[in-house]
Amino acid sequence: MTIRWQSAVALGTAVAAAIALPQATNGAPPRTDVQVSVQPTQLSVVGLPCFPGNLTLTMTNTGAEDRYADLTLDPRGPLQLSRELFSSWLPAVDPDQPVSAPVEVRVPRDTQPGNYSIELEVDRSKVTVPVTVNPLPAKGPGSNVALGEQATASSTHGNFAVCGGVDGDHDSAHWDTLTGWNDGTRAVFPDNYAVTLAAPTTINRVELYTLDTAQWPAATNGLRDWDVQVRSGTGDWQTVAQVRGNTLGHVVSTFDPVQTDAVRILCLAGNGNTYSRIVELEVYGS
Amino acid sequence: MSVRVGSTRRGFLTVTGAAAALALAGDLPGVGQALAGATGRGDRRDPFTLGVASGDPLPDAVVIWTRLAPDPLTPFGGMNRRPVEVGWQVAEDPRFRRIVRQGTTQARPEASHTVHIDVRGLRPWREYWYRFRVNGKLSPVGRTRTAPAPNAVVDEMSLAFASCQAWWEGWYTAYADMAKREHDVVFFLGDYIYEFGIDRGIRPHSNEPWMTQQTVTLDEYRVRYASYKMDPDLQAAHASAPWVVTLDDHEVVDNWADEAHPSAPPAQFLVRRANAFRAYWEHMPLRLAQLPKGPDMQLYRRIKYGRLAEFSVLDTRQYRSDQAYGDGSKAPGPETKDPARSITGAAQEKWLLDGWAASPARWNVLAQQNALARLDVKEGPEVLVPMDTWDGYEASRNRILGAAYERKLRNLVSIGGDLHRSVASDLKLDFTNPDSPTVGTEFVGTSISSAMDGMDLDPGGVTLMKENPHIKFGNFQRGYVSCSITPQRWISDYRVVDKVSIPNGTVSTRAKLLVEDNRPGIQIL
Repeated sequence: MTIRWQSAVALGTAVAAAIALPQATNGAPPRTDVQVSVQPTQLSVVGLPCFPGNLTLTMTNTGAEDRYADLTLDPRGPLQLSRELFSSWLPAVDPDQPVSAPVEVRVPRDTQPGNYSIELEVDRSKVTVPVTVNPLPAKGPGSNVALGEQATASSTHGNFAVCGGVDGDHDSAHWDTLTGWNDGTRAVFPDNYAVTLAAPTTINRVELYTLDTAQWPAATNGLRDWDVQVRSGTGDWQTVAQVRGNTLGHVVSTFDPVQTDAVRILCLAGNGNTYSRIVELEVYGS
Repeated sequence: MSVRVGSTRRGFLTVTGAAAALALAGDLPGVGQALAGATGRGDRRDPFTLGVASGDPLPDAVVIWTRLAPDPLTPFGGMNRRPVEVGWQVAEDPRFRRIVRQGTTQARPEASHTVHIDVRGLRPWREYWYRFRVNGKLSPVGRTRTAPAPNAVVDEMSLAFASCQAWWEGWYTAYADMAKREHDVVFFLGDYIYEFGIDRGIRPHSNEPWMTQQTVTLDEYRVRYASYKMDPDLQAAHASAPWVVTLDDHEVVDNWADEAHPSAPPAQFLVRRANAFRAYWEHMPLRLAQLPKGPDMQLYRRIKYGRLAEFSVLDTRQYRSDQAYGDGSKAPGPETKDPARSITGAAQEKWLLDGWAASPARWNVLAQQNALARLDVKEGPEVLVPMDTWDGYEASRNRILGAAYERKLRNLVSIGGDLHRSVASDLKLDFTNPDSPTVGTEFVGTSISSAMDGMDLDPGGVTLMKENPHIKFGNFQRGYVSCSITPQRWISDYRVVDKVSIPNGTVSTRAKLLVEDNRPGIQIL
């Protein structure tokens, strides 16, 4: 990379040194020493608010000089990206050192299924990531109507994601990969975790998975006491089931069928009195 | 305060010329739209959303700073990626009737359209006002002040120091108070931003994505700086005086040490450190000498105020040994006393001691990140001290305090932060022996907002006062320290805010502490 130091225009008798940065010579050809890769190379997403597609962007400096680079992401069509820019310092080292960053891809629920794309660009060289929007999964009798729907919480610990409790993964072994929800206020209760359904639905069963592994058993780390609540037409929360003194990793609560557009777990106490931890919240109709 | 260009006699003649050239280019096909996104003509957005700043005063120079960011939280701050001409002026009066220096420069996209002008040829120890202009839009006006001439006898100077400004944990009422006092210089001692994602905060918008996600990449650090710098009280404090800044851990990541952090192996961590440093330099009023080269930044430096005071601004993060005993609060032991471990690194330590040997100053000040004084945090005979402060690097501390004692360094004063509490101490040659000589004096300032409202003295503060006889004052509210220094004495006003959880808290002086010339140690007034 050729660099030069450009000094500012100093006027009259002014003795002023502008602080100018090393910069590329004007008119130089676009640098192409940054290799861009993306994993996966193509993506499938559905229009569920808590079910983003995940890409990992990687830039690798293959040139001889350390440098900074900007990777821009241009979503085509209705795609919504968690970032439209990834900038980083890229060391020139041997062997090459890849530098990565994540991006989440979402689409609105009413998106027309079909093929879209994201254009990635560094130094005017481009990479296209095909994105297929699939039809929404049918949510009939017997399917989990909370899957991928919008989750909200009283608080969420910085190491966790609020969508983790409705991501379809109820395996506690994956706890440290953001597959669950952990509240953000240690030893302070109550907490709550709610999911808004796509439409008013008649439900009669909630299955809750709390943290339960050999290392972190539910009896000492899982949720102990909670109320299962549904949102009524007036917006109030109505308790339909109660769980007290739980020590298990998986608890099924059944209740009389009720039509609602949202379900909430009111977390009253955790074993160990630290956090509320929900690996997965599943909601079923009759 | 905004001053219309028509109110000045000389105006921005040359800048107007540059703007005209850009306007002509705007008539070219395909260029107009780009210019509209770069605060060109037709772009009505305010480019000066992050205010102005000045810093690192010398007897004849000061750095003036701004950033063009019409949409500061969006990619590239809402600018497109081409350079923009920026005019600047420095005047002897706030209405710019006596302009002494002016010029144009380019705000460049690779530096986030920040502008760092090292204005030279100024007169020592006097006030100046500065402003910027881009395409007819004027920035707010900043006040600054140069340092006294070398070896000048200075009757009195004022300074403020602050640290730890967790945006979501409180309003910057302390900065509004600091701005009103128009100090000669302000020291910022670390934790300007916090890198981690937060869950909830007391301010509106605390749970927006730009606050709830941690910063790792350069674009993320840039947005974090922008989100903090949008605060009007912080902008007012920057515009009120030149700042001399150093960083602590959260400008990068919690408790990093040199190349070490548990979040990533060193090679990967150094990329994050490089990104953090770049965004830091871009958003601070620093000279080119401080421009990072990748993960390396020359931040320790000396700022002199004639024969009155010399400030050694330290960097206790970039060269330190990894924290002893796995960090946290631990009993002192062979690791903390290991002479091979250092909080400054050997080169910085040598630079510090060499500087002291040559110093003619009445007050020799260490502007550093945390507490030099020992902090036994455990009630009772057991001793537990923080591994992240100088307590974790006892040999390092002993070498520096020992050198000051042996060389009879005149009036050693340490100013620090990091603790989120006010702590004023006598600096002892041996902290385990209350009868050992007092070598100097330390003022640790509390946080601007980190840790929320607090209280006068919390249980932790009670323990500190009880276990550490060298601590003469403690307080657990938010605020900053405002100091007046003469050849005869140093007075620190601990300014505290009753509540930072509301926008309009009340600021008052909680304590007035005195140090007399040639008499190290705290006296309470």
